[in-house]
Amino acid sequence: MNLSREEHPHGSPSAARADLAGIRDEDLIVMVQEGNRRAFDELAGRYKGRLFSFTLRMVKDPVLAEELTQETLIRVYIHAAKYREIAKFSTWVFTIATNLVRNKMRQRSRRPQLLSLNPAPADDEIPLDPADPVADPSEEIQRRELAVVINEATAAIPEKYRIPFLLREVEQLSYEEIQQVTGLKLGTVRSRINRARNRFRQLVKPLLRDETLLAELEMIEARVAQQKDSPS
Amino acid sequence: MNMRCNNARRFLSQAMDEQLPPEVTRQLDEHLDACRDCRDFREDLVLGRRLLDATEPSLPENFDWRLQLRLNQALQHAAGETAYPWLEDKPQRRDWAGRFTTAAAFGLAAVLALAMFIGPVDRTVSVGSGQVAGFRGTLPVTARVSDRLPLTRNTRSPLTRPRGIQHSVSRSLGLGEGSPDAAFALDRGWSGNHLEDLMTIQELRLRNQRLNNQLYQYQREIALLREQLDRPDSNGLDLGQ
Repeated sequence: MNLSREEHPHGSPSAARADLAGIRDEDLIVMVQEGNRRAFDELAGRYKGRLFSFTLRMVKDPVLAEELTQETLIRVYIHAAKYREIAKFSTWVFTIATNLVRNKMRQRSRRPQLLSLNPAPADDEIPLDPADPVADPSEEIQRRELAVVINEATAAIPEKYRIPFLLREVEQLSYEEIQQVTGLKLGTVRSRINRARNRFRQLVKPLLRDETLLAELEMIEARVAQQKDSPS
Repeated sequence: MNMRCNNARRFLSQAMDEQLPPEVTRQLDEHLDACRDCRDFREDLVLGRRLLDATEPSLPENFDWRLQLRLNQALQHAAGETAYPWLEDKPQRRDWAGRFTTAAAFGLAAVLALAMFIGPVDRTVSVGSGQVAGFRGTLPVTARVSDRLPLTRNTRSPLTRPRGIQHSVSRSLGLGEGSPDAAFALDRGWSGNHLEDLMTIQELRLRNQRLNNQLYQYQREIALLREQLDRPDSNGLDLGQ
């Protein structure tokens, strides 16, 4: 198999990326089926953050989450020919990711947990963004502290409720897509999301009345909105 | 107000996702207008969603680079090639070969340990100090031990056995010939006759004493010569010639 990137007919790579940016996921995967590596890079760029967010909140281990995210994207490339446009591309990707996560969690539950002298990073060691001279370090610390609490609360939701909950709340898949990803009935998806939301609310309820935290939340949201408006 | 709170809270989740039919949505809105607890409940759900959005984790550094590396490896593997041989797992040795090597290593170590334990040891052992008549100062008296004292019965020296004399007498009278003790003694260079061997030992001790006396004489002369050299008015060595 030829691994070299093919020359893009439109010239520079940035121009190529700009061209691919407006293409639907389902069309990009067809280009991947034809051997277009740039199309895969574009798809990976679109989904890597969402996949990492989903897997990290499922397995709680950044190293394992990265491995699962990469494994998902590699399978997308290797098995691109198996994709048929009977479902949305996002549904297909998250079906792969969900199956990988389930398998990994099943393996972990079967194997005894080994104590390591060099343990995996804890929740408060979630990797930071690359150095940003404009960013306020204290704000980043606050965000990390908040992330620890939220990740703990998410992890406390039973797995069977957590998967549809995260697919809906974080990945914003529709109920029908979640049904396809999980193989559950639509009514079950609905009730599991409802139960997970109630459970999550109970877990974070003490925070919800904390005015300092709410102020922090607004600051974080404002910064995220600012970043989205002016991507560097 | 037709809707109960438990139904309203169940529908709230679906309402957030725009999954409710218009009629139910209208009833829910009516309930929320009248029920403060359910309004708070809805606020909590919305806040929970905002918290999840705000704490979305960032990708680890070098994620893209590692992805490309893994993808290339996977593709090479799929093509039946090895992309990075140094990253591949080393082939496992065959079990029997590994076991044989381990067993051989242990065996060799055991033999070496045994040899060190029972083999000859050449070392000098300080056994004290003595005063020599006519010599000022203390001379160290050392004994050279050319063999470790045997620890087991078969390797014990005939001299160290409590019944050594009685045994040697019986040997000298020709008793007990051909016994394992006699064979052992012959192997080690003894005559097999304990009386003769005792005499040999006595001779060796006397010879050793003579040599020691000679050594003391030399050491004494050296000391006298040093004293002579150390004197302030000394013009050189008086060799007595």
